Amino acid sequence: MNPYQEAGEDAHRNVILVMRTDPDSDAEDNQRKLQEFSELTKALNDKVVDVITQERYPDRKYNVGSGKAKELAIVARDKKANRIIFYDPLSTSQIYNISKLCSEAGANCRVMDRFQLILDIFAQRATTHRSKLQVELARLRYELPNARILVSLSKKEERAGWGGLGDYEDSYEQDIKKRIARINTELKKADLEEEARRVYRHKNGFFIVSLAGYTNAGKSTLFNALVDEQTESKDMFFTTLIPKTRALIINKRKILLTDTVGFIEDLPHFLVDAFRSTLEGIYFSDMILLVVDFSEPTEHIRKKLMISHETLWEKSTSNIITVLNKSETMKPAERKKKLEELSHLIYNPIFISAKTGMGMPDLMNEIGMCLPPLVTQTISLPNNESGAAALSWFYDNGLVEEILYGKYMTFDFSATEDVMAKVNDIISKTQATL
Amino acid sequence: MFTVIAVDISGRHRIDAGYYMVCAAASVEITPTSIEKINEINTEAFLFSKPPELLDIVKIIENTAAKIKKKGALIVERGDLFNLDENLSKPMFTQEIRYQESIGERKAIELAHYVSLSTRNLLLKETGLDIRIHENDEDNIDAGDNADDNNKDGADVE
Repeated sequence: MNPYQEAGEDAHRNVILVMRTDPDSDAEDNQRKLQEFSELTKALNDKVVDVITQERYPDRKYNVGSGKAKELAIVARDKKANRIIFYDPLSTSQIYNISKLCSEAGANCRVMDRFQLILDIFAQRATTHRSKLQVELARLRYELPNARILVSLSKKEERAGWGGLGDYEDSYEQDIKKRIARINTELKKADLEEEARRVYRHKNGFFIVSLAGYTNAGKSTLFNALVDEQTESKDMFFTTLIPKTRALIINKRKILLTDTVGFIEDLPHFLVDAFRSTLEGIYFSDMILLVVDFSEPTEHIRKKLMISHETLWEKSTSNIITVLNKSETMKPAERKKKLEELSHLIYNPIFISAKTGMGMPDLMNEIGMCLPPLVTQTISLPNNESGAAALSWFYDNGLVEEILYGKYMTFDFSATEDVMAKVNDIISKTQATL
Repeated sequence: MFTVIAVDISGRHRIDAGYYMVCAAASVEITPTSIEKINEINTEAFLFSKPPELLDIVKIIENTAAKIKKKGALIVERGDLFNLDENLSKPMFTQEIRYQESIGERKAIELAHYVSLSTRNLLLKETGLDIRIHENDEDNIDAGDNADDNNKDGADVE
């Protein structure tokens, strides 16, 4: 039997969650992790039929103790589970051993870990070619270290004789390596295009703002509220996988707002690598709106903020505004107390409610105050065809104040220094004057 | 702004006959996202003949931070205390301690790390130990595939 074979691929799968915790670990933190683990399964429309926990150090063979593993197999059979998902990362042989126990008990289910669950969620949400490639790359990187053992276990019954298996194992591993190389080349091209777009936006004086934060913090709801759009936003993890960028006008100035994929605790390195280009979108923005679900308990917020800071700290040099979303559910005194407790993690706090619109003008003002200063010059363009063409460039790249029409079109033009550097070129082409 | 003391230890690996470690404690004023001011820095060198254990590390950190005048919570990397749970590591210290959380705290630890690393490099250079380390490295390179075996031999001798 192939231990990776999925059984019962129906819309509502019955799922059993298994979480092993170390003795002496923080019980409250474990509870939070379990709740988040359970929320993750909702993202795939799965139904949690049982949750099994055990406090012990990891077992080499089953991750949980052997007695608990046998109990798990019986529960899986009785509850007709389609999937058993472990919080801890499992080795290939652990998956094989647990699958074997389950099939011996009469249960027909797939055994997987949290990483594979996240990969499944990403695979389901990936709609663009680039994101599909990123998910495929993450899956292959996850599979690669286990490729040899996987083939070895899958072909266990077919072993012809001593030394008869080597070719299979090598070719499967080589196959994965080749596919990784091919996807990397293809992604590199896509990343170059993305980078070129980013450079173009910066050169043309666009101010880029990214929404970042823990998954399910309300980034998409805030994005919708800011740009008045209906991007899909749900009470679900990883609703947004593909970054979306829209223009937003603040203080008469156009800025670009990007909604991005959320962070999560213990995100595996292969997934971070595969989505590096997506994260770079956040690192290279001019400002980050770090969105936090402020209605949660303080300890949960602290952990989530810590993970967000950990993700951002090495590469990001942008301004950060901490947007405390879902604040409408709390009284001002409660908000103040929470803010004091978390003051070492919260920078530039703004209380908002993306749902009700509370605090949105304050947020807009704060963004407006961080915009780079504009330089103003008076420009005169000849009132002819070439002058009109140049005028449209000025409209696209900055603020054009009232125009006086005569032999020349004269107006005040305000723009960032980058854009102003290009004005001389435009003017020399149209024989206009400064 | 908050005052914290960021601590980092460099050289927790055996060279020659012992563990030549330098601990740096930096008292800094930070915001959640940046370092605003460096108040004071103290470095201390330690030599151990055997691998430092948890209580040794606690002593090293406490001794180095004790000479800092401007007090604040100690900030250390989780790895420096053998990834011990924060609830377990806190009672071992006489002053407030926590693991790095914000960007500002991570930057402070980074600063302490650069200080401890460069101080250690300087000390090794002064004592001539760096030349011996370099020679050992070259031996390992010459040995090629047997480099691991050489290390194993070294460990056995100890």
